[in-house]
Amino acid sequence: MNVLTKAVAAAMLGTIPFATLALAETPPNQLVVGFSMSNILTLDPAAITGKETVQVLANIYEGLVSLDPVNRSQANPQLAESWAISEDSKSITFKMRSGAKFASGNPVTAEDVVWSFKRLMKLNLAQASFLKTHGFSAANADASFAAPDPSTVVITLPKKVDPQIIVLTLGIVGPGSVLDSKTVMANEANGDMGGAWLTTHSAGSGPFVLQEWKSNERVLLSRNDNHWGKEAAMRRIIMRHLPESQSQRLMLEKGDIDVAFSMSAADLTALQSNKDVVVQTIGGSGFYYLAVSMKDEKFNKPKVREALRYLIDYEGLNATVLPFFGKPHDRPIQTGLLGALPDAGYKLNVEKAKALLAEAGYPEGFSTTLRALSDAPFLNLATAIQASLAQGGIKAEVITGSGDQIYGAMRERKFELLVGRGGGGQLPHPDSNLRAIAYNPNNADDAKLTNFQGWRTSFYDEKLNKMIDDALIETDTKRQVTRYGEIQTYYADMVPSIQPFSEVVDSVASRADVKGLALNPSWSTDLSTITKAR
Amino acid sequence: MTHERVYAGIRQGATILVTLFGLLVLTFCIGRLMPVDPVRAIIGEEADAATYRMVAERLGMDRPVYEQFLRYLGDILTGNFGVSIRTGQSVINDIAHVMPATIELATFAIICGAGLGIPLGILAAVRRNRLTDHVIRVVTLLGHSMPIFWIGMIGLIVFYATLGLVGGGGRMSDYNIGLAPETTGFLLIDAALAGDWEVFHDAVNHLVLPASILGYSSMAYITRMTRSFMLDQLNQEYVVTARVKGLSNSRTIWYHAFANIRVQLVTIVALAYGSLLEGAVLIETVFSWPGFGQYMTNNMLVGDMNAVMTCVLIVGIIFICLNLLSDVLYKVFDPRTR
Repeated sequence: MNVLTKAVAAAMLGTIPFATLALAETPPNQLVVGFSMSNILTLDPAAITGKETVQVLANIYEGLVSLDPVNRSQANPQLAESWAISEDSKSITFKMRSGAKFASGNPVTAEDVVWSFKRLMKLNLAQASFLKTHGFSAANADASFAAPDPSTVVITLPKKVDPQIIVLTLGIVGPGSVLDSKTVMANEANGDMGGAWLTTHSAGSGPFVLQEWKSNERVLLSRNDNHWGKEAAMRRIIMRHLPESQSQRLMLEKGDIDVAFSMSAADLTALQSNKDVVVQTIGGSGFYYLAVSMKDEKFNKPKVREALRYLIDYEGLNATVLPFFGKPHDRPIQTGLLGALPDAGYKLNVEKAKALLAEAGYPEGFSTTLRALSDAPFLNLATAIQASLAQGGIKAEVITGSGDQIYGAMRERKFELLVGRGGGGQLPHPDSNLRAIAYNPNNADDAKLTNFQGWRTSFYDEKLNKMIDDALIETDTKRQVTRYGEIQTYYADMVPSIQPFSEVVDSVASRADVKGLALNPSWSTDLSTITKAR
Repeated sequence: MTHERVYAGIRQGATILVTLFGLLVLTFCIGRLMPVDPVRAIIGEEADAATYRMVAERLGMDRPVYEQFLRYLGDILTGNFGVSIRTGQSVINDIAHVMPATIELATFAIICGAGLGIPLGILAAVRRNRLTDHVIRVVTLLGHSMPIFWIGMIGLIVFYATLGLVGGGGRMSDYNIGLAPETTGFLLIDAALAGDWEVFHDAVNHLVLPASILGYSSMAYITRMTRSFMLDQLNQEYVVTARVKGLSNSRTIWYHAFANIRVQLVTIVALAYGSLLEGAVLIETVFSWPGFGQYMTNNMLVGDMNAVMTCVLIVGIIFICLNLLSDVLYKVFDPRTR
């Protein structure tokens, strides 16, 4: 038996790993960032979807202007040094900064800018929506974007809108990103305007250049030595795909990563007591809301919708489910944007809701379904709302699933109630919120206006559409503010299909010795300003 | 005799082809039934109907399902496995890139699993119903019944976060990324070839924990199988005869009983290895390990059918090869099956 025991012992010893203390500190001139990259499908600025990709590209590409991280409605000069809006508000002329170069060494010219915008419209992918909303299209792109000389860009507006909204749109990573046309066209294949090549390569003028992207593994950025601005302190930025919040937390606590972008509320709460870690929260885009389908005869009744308004526990949801994810807000325009009114101050009021339901003909309540994504925080929101609806006699069965199942049903206009997140806001202008959440130019089933939540919820109000359109073309800012105020009041009075109960905020945790991390809303934080105090 | 062999070979070949074809049809149907929409994944939540139609047309998603399937089959037969929606790369390139990470993990795990499992299984069989046997059975029962992602999490908290003995998620520390040139894709081999022992050590440090945990779960299976094979042999008459003839206990066990279960052991180790190659999904997620399991899951989630179908084919081929291998080994080691 001796031999056998020895054999087992030897086998055990042989498989005991030789491990030593792991060195856990990132180098002083490299920044390591962790977030989930499951949604990154391409790095072509015209084709990206989702905020994670924006966070990558914000450090590679620049626009004519950039959006101010603090004052959201302000555009700062970037590749354009100045711009002027014509007397008749029909065109905007940008003067280019001299001496700016792309990472390739090619100079940034007005031609590149115009080419980038035309490419965006011609490819007609995800990011074209921002400009399509305001009348730009593949057909009118040649007429809309012009470069009369190498340092001047003229944008002619295809329809009457507030020119400021176009300026702000050009500050968004994606539609506003300026590409190195020579480098991209040198890598064109089958007339794709460089689409395939740009999936995994970059051609920008930002502080960093894409060194490598391995899907669901990592993105490596290295410093762009040709950048015109202040040199970044970091030589490399390593972005790691860390799908689990728990792993991000462990690695941040150990110092293996410097910044963690996508962590759960539970992990962020736990980190608050850690003096080596700092958690910052910043405004995001859009709202958390309860939506109804007005196709459903019950929810078509204003009294029923009003009852729902009093069956949401605004305080409870924000205090228990949404720390780090949202903050209380019940209006369709985000805080800090032009004309945003303070909250209407709705509260959970079961008695009032019951009375309204009785008036609407449902004294005993009714049964319905409530859809929500199966991930945090949606499932918890749905469970909490299910409980408060039950107090008013509404029995809601919760249906959970993936984005395709939940929002897919909404796009098909086949749902009853839904807890969701959305409502524009990446563009820091009230029009962006209102158009996403309340506007619906055509309520026909076959119109398929799936990009409007108004259409998805079969909500149609001609007067509101007109108010939104009119406010956008108002040239006097004071009057514009008044108009947006009126829209919010009207929206509250008519009880629409979507009731926000919170506005989105984003929370990012970083090591305490990481300095200069100035978070930018909508995940477009510039990482070139970061230094490490080591 | 030779005719029979040729026929048997043809029969086996036909069976393999039919199996693979069935696998493809089944995967394609499941992919179509799954509530995921690759077009939506590409264009995002906010895009309008015109963009949707354009992309659907480009992917051929506007054609009838049978036509899509036939087109896919035609492509495969010409060796074109298509491009992944999620990475924009050819699927074959993608898989070639993620496979080494998984092979590294699975190989280390099977060394742990078989290296411990086989001796433990034999020990348990020999000491049947005594304390040693009970202890081993409890240990393997735990390995078999505890959820692997939970063990993974606990392992990370204890060995990485608290004790700092091993590296965290991923294949190596971030500051070592890109230092050793990627020649084979196997990090340990690449680092050794480059003579960069720091990277090598770092890679071992990151591999140890996920591989041991995977190894533990396969060890549980291997131990239980070894124990039952061995018990079978120990109850045979020849063992009793050998003992009566005065052969020493260890000689009886190693030279007679063990020799007779070698083939069975090779088979179960091979199958365990096969399932490690495709079944490391949970551990790969917990440890942010960029391998085949994670690749397959992520593609399923966005409905990237080119990638999913190729992954399924590869898994199918792995298992068919392993089954063939064990058939061949049986024939080699066991004259009765010839």
